[in-house]
Amino acid sequence: MPALVRWGMVIDLKRCTGCHTCTVACKAEHHTPPGVFWAKVVRVESGKYPTVIRQAVPLLCMHCKEPECEKVCPTGATKKKDDGTIIVDSKLCVGCRYCAVACPYGARCFTPEWKDYFTGDKKPSSQFAEYSKKKWLEESDRGVVSKCNFCEERVAEGKKPACVNACPTEARTFGDLDDPESEVSQLIKKRRGMQLHPEYGTDACVYYLPAR
Amino acid sequence: MQQEDFKPGARTQMEWGFGGRRRWRDGALLMALFLGGIGAGQFVVSTWLIDSTKSALVGLLVVGVGKTVAHLVYLGQPTRFYRLFLRPKTSWISRGLIFMVVFVAFGAAYLAPDIGFDWVPWETGSTLSDVLLIGAILSAFLVMVYDGFVLLSCKSITAWNTALMPPLFFTYAVAGGTAMTYLTLIAMGSEIPNQDTLTTIDSVLLASMFALLVIYIMNMTTSTATARESLRKLTTTKVAIAFVGVAIIAGLLVPLSLTLYHEVATTETVASVLLAVSSILELSGDLSVRHSILRAGLHAPVFSEGL
Repeated sequence: MPALVRWGMVIDLKRCTGCHTCTVACKAEHHTPPGVFWAKVVRVESGKYPTVIRQAVPLLCMHCKEPECEKVCPTGATKKKDDGTIIVDSKLCVGCRYCAVACPYGARCFTPEWKDYFTGDKKPSSQFAEYSKKKWLEESDRGVVSKCNFCEERVAEGKKPACVNACPTEARTFGDLDDPESEVSQLIKKRRGMQLHPEYGTDACVYYLPAR
Repeated sequence: MQQEDFKPGARTQMEWGFGGRRRWRDGALLMALFLGGIGAGQFVVSTWLIDSTKSALVGLLVVGVGKTVAHLVYLGQPTRFYRLFLRPKTSWISRGLIFMVVFVAFGAAYLAPDIGFDWVPWETGSTLSDVLLIGAILSAFLVMVYDGFVLLSCKSITAWNTALMPPLFFTYAVAGGTAMTYLTLIAMGSEIPNQDTLTTIDSVLLASMFALLVIYIMNMTTSTATARESLRKLTTTKVAIAFVGVAIIAGLLVPLSLTLYHEVATTETVASVLLAVSSILELSGDLSVRHSILRAGLHAPVFSEGL
């Protein structure tokens, strides 16, 4: 991995159809249990009659340059990597959820217990569920907080995050925000990419291109 | 799946307080904040104003045992609790727990000669004992106020992100401590020293708490749309039963009138009963106001119109 990158994402709201492929792709990649959504899509209505639109807005961890979650974490489980990605070390997290309360973007998920998707039991109902539970507990744990990590293992192999890869409309672009020639930097410059809630001073690394 | 996660608009915080994701277990954090406030308040009132060792010990145990157990019940991974102390530079939870440990240490050391630990090399009333008392009282103040700062630090929850949180929680903690002191002394059958002074202080505190709540509500009416939505939640939904019914009416106005009525009670028994009832109502009000503020915490919508 090249040094001195700052990974970021650009989401084109004009292209997003709200199909939830990113939500499912993230779940499949990370085997997140029921109730845990690292990537999600919400629908919002905006504008005034007669120019009302219903907009699908994908949400995920913003991997802020000035993360609120890192400041408030009492154990040091939330860390910022050199490439700008914010990660949660599940071995250090105590599950106090201060980060989840402090995060302005609702990016954090708490898992009290792993549960099977189909039966809701703690016992896996199939071999795949058993495999899924094992993969989940390798990545996270019970009683801790988890969140999007920009698919750090995939990125380390030179691949794109699962949600970017899966998006059928190519609404998501992933790249180095510190490289002015990268696709993400160009999109932000040309299409007036914006961050959510810049007034909190978080300097998010996920930008949104306006729908209109 | 939590429906809140997929709704646009203001999102209720679901992590802290009763009614959260893990139902009763998330309420353990509310109990931890409540017990920390009233226990530290009781210690301060008992040592500074009335010099009652037993009442101070109860306050110390409420914090040292009650608050600790409540925190452990709440945590997702309680066996890693020692990690909570590692980031006092930036985390108010780390700071608060350090204040708690310092308070318990100083408080226990101060009370040690009077509770059977004669072997300690200091006596009550000695210079070292006075230093321990000052350390205990100062750290108790910090325990009483830190939870206000924990809430204040959450920028996206406008109902919490106000400078009123620390003084509000501090005042409630002192009043709660006074109420706990009354109840402890009544339960032990002891006389309440400086009762007139305590009653006056209690009345002033109740009036101050009412004023602070009024200012808090007025502040929310002129703040952001999310804050106004929090206020609507506090005053018109199920949360209003706790906020208006228990916290304001039962927890403030009724004790305030009982405090005044107490002055004209005909017998000691009636006076004690009125005092006990007033104290229980004050404590219920304290718990309810903390519960209501946690329940009414709404995150500002992640995106605004026009996106």
